[in-house]
Amino acid sequence: MQSNATLEYDYSIVKLFIWTAVIFGFVGMLIGVLIAAQLAFPDLNYLLGEYGTFSRLRPLHTNVVVYGFTLSGIWASFYYSGQRVLKVSINESGFLKALTKLHFLLYLVIAALMVLSLLMGITANKEYAQMEWPLDVIVVLTWVIFGIIMFGLIGLRREKTLYISMWYYIAFFLGVAMLYLFNNMEVPTKFFSGGLGAWYHSVSMYAGTNDALVQWWWGHNAVAFVFTVPIIAMIYYFLPKESGQAVYSYKLSLLSFWGLMFVYLWAGGHHLVWSTVPDWMQTMGSVFSVVLILPSWGSAINMLLTMKGEWNQLTENPLIKFMVLASTFYMLSTLEGPIQSVKSVNAIAHFTDWIPGHVHDGVLGWVAFMVFAALMHMAPRVFKREIYSKSLLEAQFWIQTIAVVLYFTSMWIAGITQGMMWRAVDEYGNLVYSFIDTVSVLHPYYAIRAFGGLLYLIGVLMFAWNIFKTATAGRRLEQEPRYRSPMA
Amino acid sequence: MTSVEIEQLRIYLYLIGTGLAVVIFYYYIIHLYRSEKKGKKDYEKYGKLALDDELDSQILEKNPKLENDKKE
Amino acid sequence: MFHWLEKNPFFFAVGVFVVIAYAGIIEILPNFAERARPVKGLKPYTVLELAGKEVYKKDNCIACHSQLIRPFKSETDRYGQYSLSGEYAYDRPFLWGSKRTGPDLHRVGNYRTPDWHANHMWDPKSVVPESIMPAYKHQFTNLADLETAYAEAVTVKKVFNTPYGKEIAPGKAAFEKYKKDILLPEALKIAKAMKRDDLVKMVEQGKVPEIVALVAYLERLK
Repeated sequence: MQSNATLEYDYSIVKLFIWTAVIFGFVGMLIGVLIAAQLAFPDLNYLLGEYGTFSRLRPLHTNVVVYGFTLSGIWASFYYSGQRVLKVSINESGFLKALTKLHFLLYLVIAALMVLSLLMGITANKEYAQMEWPLDVIVVLTWVIFGIIMFGLIGLRREKTLYISMWYYIAFFLGVAMLYLFNNMEVPTKFFSGGLGAWYHSVSMYAGTNDALVQWWWGHNAVAFVFTVPIIAMIYYFLPKESGQAVYSYKLSLLSFWGLMFVYLWAGGHHLVWSTVPDWMQTMGSVFSVVLILPSWGSAINMLLTMKGEWNQLTENPLIKFMVLASTFYMLSTLEGPIQSVKSVNAIAHFTDWIPGHVHDGVLGWVAFMVFAALMHMAPRVFKREIYSKSLLEAQFWIQTIAVVLYFTSMWIAGITQGMMWRAVDEYGNLVYSFIDTVSVLHPYYAIRAFGGLLYLIGVLMFAWNIFKTATAGRRLEQEPRYRSPMA
Repeated sequence: MTSVEIEQLRIYLYLIGTGLAVVIFYYYIIHLYRSEKKGKKDYEKYGKLALDDELDSQILEKNPKLENDKKE
Repeated sequence: MFHWLEKNPFFFAVGVFVVIAYAGIIEILPNFAERARPVKGLKPYTVLELAGKEVYKKDNCIACHSQLIRPFKSETDRYGQYSLSGEYAYDRPFLWGSKRTGPDLHRVGNYRTPDWHANHMWDPKSVVPESIMPAYKHQFTNLADLETAYAEAVTVKKVFNTPYGKEIAPGKAAFEKYKKDILLPEALKIAKAMKRDDLVKMVEQGKVPEIVALVAYLERLK
């Protein structure tokens, strides 16, 4: 083993994932803006023939932003901060280093096949788990490789105690593995029918209500273990590091961790309130959703209090702005979700645009902001150059903040309007509105939402440009910055 | 097993499991604060792990398995 | 004890796993059979309907349409009897959807006709002027994948004991026989009800366009 004097953290894999995050972020959100615009202006459905309808593109949008943009950001962060809090370099093991390359390669293969198959309409048709079984097999393989790398690094670590971020990364690995395996249990039809039909086609192991339960156990907890757990892992590392302030209360972070782990899984039932799943499960979903506020806010408040006495950094450092707003949006959406899962509210909110509204204040405000901040924090260290433009970063922050506000306010109004119109009755108890009335009324809100999305996309472009220029034209740094990221 | 039996088993499992989780959780809280008060363990020092994360930073607690080959 | 856990990644991981798996074990695993029981008189999907369900999946109708009528008066007035668990017993995967940009379809077969569907899928605005749904003209030329649908029927019969008759059996020969004797006549009936000569002609030539299969499936939703 090399001595520490010459040993350095290995950022080659981090760089690769930074680039995929930027590219998938742009592509995924571009599709998002297109499908948002299609709802306001239906003629946009015909740009790509059969492949360009809203219905075909929507899973592409969700998959590219969730598994392209977000996962890339998470893995870039993991390979960066994982090495650092464990005080071990990937360079110390040739085996692990080779596996990281394989990890990235397989990831690209999956991404390409996923885009292709979804465009062609080859889909298992479960939300956020659309990929057919051959792809599932590669996904599982990739996940195992990721697991080997993570536990391999942990095995080589110099620091005995695992920092809280590592806890969350471990939970991320385990949670996704368990849920993904169970939800994607499917039977390939070719092998059971004497070689008939398409080889990639499969049929779900579960039927009807059971399938719904398993799917939303997954669907909800994909949010937990992709959009929450690893993002918390990121903020627990990047916010203290960028601000130079240790976590406000390490004990609180441990308690929130166990609370979140226990409670989150129960809340899946809130996607199925008023459906045909047993009543007690619906109630359990509602109740635990409300309980979930506690560990969620525990983490968020811990983050905000970390800035105690250092609030001046909020005005001086755009990265701190991104992270503090991310925590704030995390608080907002973890309050909004439980409200929506209360049975009486759910009766109105379910099936309406309030739900995509809720999802997007979470993902645009919390997940994406945190990913942007993390990537920008890593950029000067990884590329050994100063961040290209502070003012561009500031402008991006404000444009995107306005974009998110436009997005969720329009969707709140749209959702509640539609939910109320569906149930409106006249004095004789007859329904007042035909279904199409409740669609036409949404046009202005759909237009505002598409505009908000467009603003956000512009912000992403600014970000991509900023990263690109940082990597190629930023002023070279002699020394790795300790806390605050240097920017021009 | 009949479905009624499964249903009962489920209820017992749920009550026992959740009860146990709550007890362990509160015990954990007490444990965290008590061990800090007694001076046995300072949990807050681990917050520093994110800040001092260079390869040559001070290591809080060495991983004993690696002690042999890490003598620089 | 706790501190030991924090320093031993393997046992820590086991602990985390137990905590996150707990909810699933309690909620989902038991009683699977109970919820999977079909309502009385429920027939499994015909192969043509399954092919239609594949079209429904391929064009991802669940992005905008639910198949779940909730037990409220406003919903039963609009869509009909609220949905029962046993009605979904043969739905693999379930197609409840999570968003109603368009109306619920769980009982659409009760109040729409094949020719209405034909017009609607060709040009939604021709029947609902303010509709924001795109036209699905490609379904009138693309052919439905009957063989895969048949393979699915064989698979669910074998693996999940879905009650199909002897006509559903593995192998190419069985499929060709089924197609000629049962599937094409069924498709022809639908095509005729859709009142489009081009579709009838195609089916008579032994080709089933996606739209015919899809309408067979939608007609089945009652």
